[in-house]
Amino acid sequence: MAELTADQEPVPPLTIAGHWDFRYQYFAGDAASRFFHELGNGRIMGTLCPQCQRVLVPARGFCDACYVSTTDWRQVGDRGRLETFTILASRFPGLPDPPVVIGYVTLAGASTALLNFVLGLDLTDVEAAATRLLAQPAVEVRFRDQREGRITDFFFQLADA
Amino acid sequence: MCPVRELAIIGVGQTAYRRRHDCSTPELVSQAVTAALHDAGIPMQDVDIVTGGFAPDGLAGENCPDKRFLPAAGAVGRWSMRVNTGGTTGIAAAYAAMDLLAARYGDIAVAVGVERMAQAVNVPAVFNSIFDPVYERDTGLSTISMGALRAARMMMKWGYTPQVWAEVAARNYAHATRNPLAQITRPYTADEVLASRLLAWPIRQLDACPISEGVCAVVLAGAEVAQRGRAVAWVRGRASCTDTYNMGDRFDRADGDLVDLLSLHRATEKALGQAGLPSAAEADVVEIHAPFTHAETMAYAPLRFCAAEDGADLVRAGFGRWDSRPVINPSGGPQAANPVGATALVRLAECALQVRRAAGERQVPDAALAVATGQGGASQFSTCTVLTAA
Repeated sequence: MAELTADQEPVPPLTIAGHWDFRYQYFAGDAASRFFHELGNGRIMGTLCPQCQRVLVPARGFCDACYVSTTDWRQVGDRGRLETFTILASRFPGLPDPPVVIGYVTLAGASTALLNFVLGLDLTDVEAAATRLLAQPAVEVRFRDQREGRITDFFFQLADA
Repeated sequence: MCPVRELAIIGVGQTAYRRRHDCSTPELVSQAVTAALHDAGIPMQDVDIVTGGFAPDGLAGENCPDKRFLPAAGAVGRWSMRVNTGGTTGIAAAYAAMDLLAARYGDIAVAVGVERMAQAVNVPAVFNSIFDPVYERDTGLSTISMGALRAARMMMKWGYTPQVWAEVAARNYAHATRNPLAQITRPYTADEVLASRLLAWPIRQLDACPISEGVCAVVLAGAEVAQRGRAVAWVRGRASCTDTYNMGDRFDRADGDLVDLLSLHRATEKALGQAGLPSAAEADVVEIHAPFTHAETMAYAPLRFCAAEDGADLVRAGFGRWDSRPVINPSGGPQAANPVGATALVRLAECALQVRRAAGERQVPDAALAVATGQGGASQFSTCTVLTAA
């Protein structure tokens, strides 16, 4: 029987290929199910916190700041303020093809911002587009014709576009 | 009321932080823990408690990795637990160990932070999976774009520029040349940072952390044990605070905007208060847990370095450089190596090495007071720890 000693020739580090591609179905829950349903009606809805009086958009079943259940539903406007943004500029497998803009927008009547794609900008010059977006232009909601009950049923575009 | 038990860090062990194809996860863990015990001058037999943290399981592709890494850290026959709070995982494990020691469930504990992310072939896609699958994941959000959304907001509110952040990067890379454990040891200049690949505007490749692996381990002890003739780092203040996950809820919020980093503000207020400090600027060393350049500057106001709108001027004045006080990130910080599940513990370990005067070439002369931050989740989990030499 061969014996291994400390001065054996080193072997190259071994790599074993693997994958982790299980399938899931995410349960959107009570508040989000209604939120997405209302997207189908062309409406963006939020929920009201009875304590801090914030209209939470996208809708949630409870306010995690006050720790109370939300009560009423409120429709919010389809125009809003771009709170911040980024322009995805490098390609990564599994992420959207660049260049593409995502941003947080507070819609009229909402107390919180929601994240989505900001489409319709000329992105041939990324720096120029970024300068334009830094000025926090007004944006508006555009619904897609085909809706499937996902956040991508709508997107934002500059209101003056 | 019983006096609070004083605690100290009595040993530190770290692997080099880079892509570690040469070692299995348990091998890396045992190397770091063995080094930490050797540094503390105690055998594993003296350890009562083992706590550990490991970043998102999906990054390593190892589901419930606690089964293998806790025994590799010495958990067999001992009280052990795994903690997971994203980027703050490593420090959360250390705090869990401190809590157990403070409650006298034991006298000596080992805390480890573990990172194995180079096993992921497609890291950004795995990072997309950490976000809310109902409302946000479809936008392709990743940790990079999450950071970029904050950076753009800081430009809008406070006049930050990519040039200012490039100066931060250059300082961190300069410091990292002193740290043999760092992954990036080339002293990139600000111009090189600005010329590097744009990832998500305004973040460029050299504003961001590399993909790093490795393990950090610390040995913690109650005062009676700690004081047996060894250089120790006393824990004089520590606090943790959590914010909402919802980033969209934090714009112009009365308590603090998204980029005010409310959770760090509050954690720092408590930890500095416990240590009797008005500002982290009193420290000799501050290790800031910031995987991106803008994130470091976002911590300046919470650390009481300056008002939020004055951060860019602070950078321009050379704040944090090697020949000043405090020195920020003498290790190079997460920009030079960011083993996610370990990083927040690395910040603590580096501060402990500094006040124990055991930091080698990256030793800040006569360092006696050090502050470490931890930052995780959707910039929502924050910690602040104050260490002293005496």
